[in-house]
Amino acid sequence: MSSIETDPHEPDLAPLRAALQAMPTPAVDEAALRRVFREHRHAQTSGARTAARTRRYWALAAAVSSVALGGVVGLALMTERHTAAPPAPIAAAAPTAVAAFQPLWYSPEVVSGAAYSVVRVRVPLSSLALLPDGAADGMIEADLLVGEDGLARGIRFNGPGALLVSKASQ
Amino acid sequence: MTDADREPEDREDATLLVAIAAGDEQAFVDLYARRQADVFRFAFAMARSKSVAQDVTQEVFLNVLENAARFDTVKGSARGWLFGCARYVVLDRLRLERRWTDALPELVVEHDGDAKLLTEQRVGRLHAALTRLPIEYREVLVFCDLQEWTYAATAAVLDCPIGTVRSRLHRGRALLAALLVEGEADAGAAPAPAEPGVLQTREVCS
Repeated sequence: MSSIETDPHEPDLAPLRAALQAMPTPAVDEAALRRVFREHRHAQTSGARTAARTRRYWALAAAVSSVALGGVVGLALMTERHTAAPPAPIAAAAPTAVAAFQPLWYSPEVVSGAAYSVVRVRVPLSSLALLPDGAADGMIEADLLVGEDGLARGIRFNGPGALLVSKASQ
Repeated sequence: MTDADREPEDREDATLLVAIAAGDEQAFVDLYARRQADVFRFAFAMARSKSVAQDVTQEVFLNVLENAARFDTVKGSARGWLFGCARYVVLDRLRLERRWTDALPELVVEHDGDAKLLTEQRVGRLHAALTRLPIEYREVLVFCDLQEWTYAATAAVLDCPIGTVRSRLHRGRALLAALLVEGEADAGAAPAPAEPGVLQTREVCS
């Protein structure tokens, strides 16, 4: 049985079908997929399903889009939002240094009174300039200041103590 | 492509799903590589949004990770199971997206000059009209006319009789034709600032 039984008076969907078939789809990041799989297996045993699922979602988002979108957009899709992160223990005696947001090139101006979101991202060290040799394999955590239009306005790195995330821990 | 043609592929997908349920990492990577594009295109055809299609693809494969053990070859094909999941995720997203505005996609077909432009316009009009159809007609058109699924395979995913697929397809095509005629009439009357019924570009960061 053929699935296509068109009437000459009915719309011909062949051009749309051809366009969909020719449409490029996001590239597959195998390393990110494997990471997602391992996190899932780990979460199955630890029971931290909800938070882990959120993290996996964003990791998979990175897998899908990092090659296709690249650059800052790719980084934004690797985000792990503050709300999704497991609560971090508060070290009462340890003072934390919080850096100011640095404006991003070509980003729109920051306007007082406008609403912004802070989104935590992990940036591959290899994408940053002026790093010592051997540091390019890991990731670094940063906060992005994102406007309501979805465009990032600024970036900050949280502190030297928690900056580097080794590749092995991904 | 008939269901018989798809049978070997489907058996392989089923094997991969079983392996994923057993904890085989490579099987997950392989299934993703095999089916990611199909799921993405299905979601894009339904929603006419690349961002939605990406989200749906991710959600579907997370569901695969979590629920692969529930797949049962006796109950249906691996493809049906995967797209059944994709369909639910798409419908959820479409309900959610009504509150949002969305990106107008670029669908480019390789042609030169005027021919390319005309084809792009035609494809854009077709897709816009398709996404204005009620969901029950849209999904049948996407499965049968765009993905070239058989009525039987579509009926299995939609969990309805084949007769229902046929009648929805017939009614959907008629509605689509009417929408296209209506669109052409509108275009002839006055230049519209935006396509009616199509959500406009804006992503919301929540």
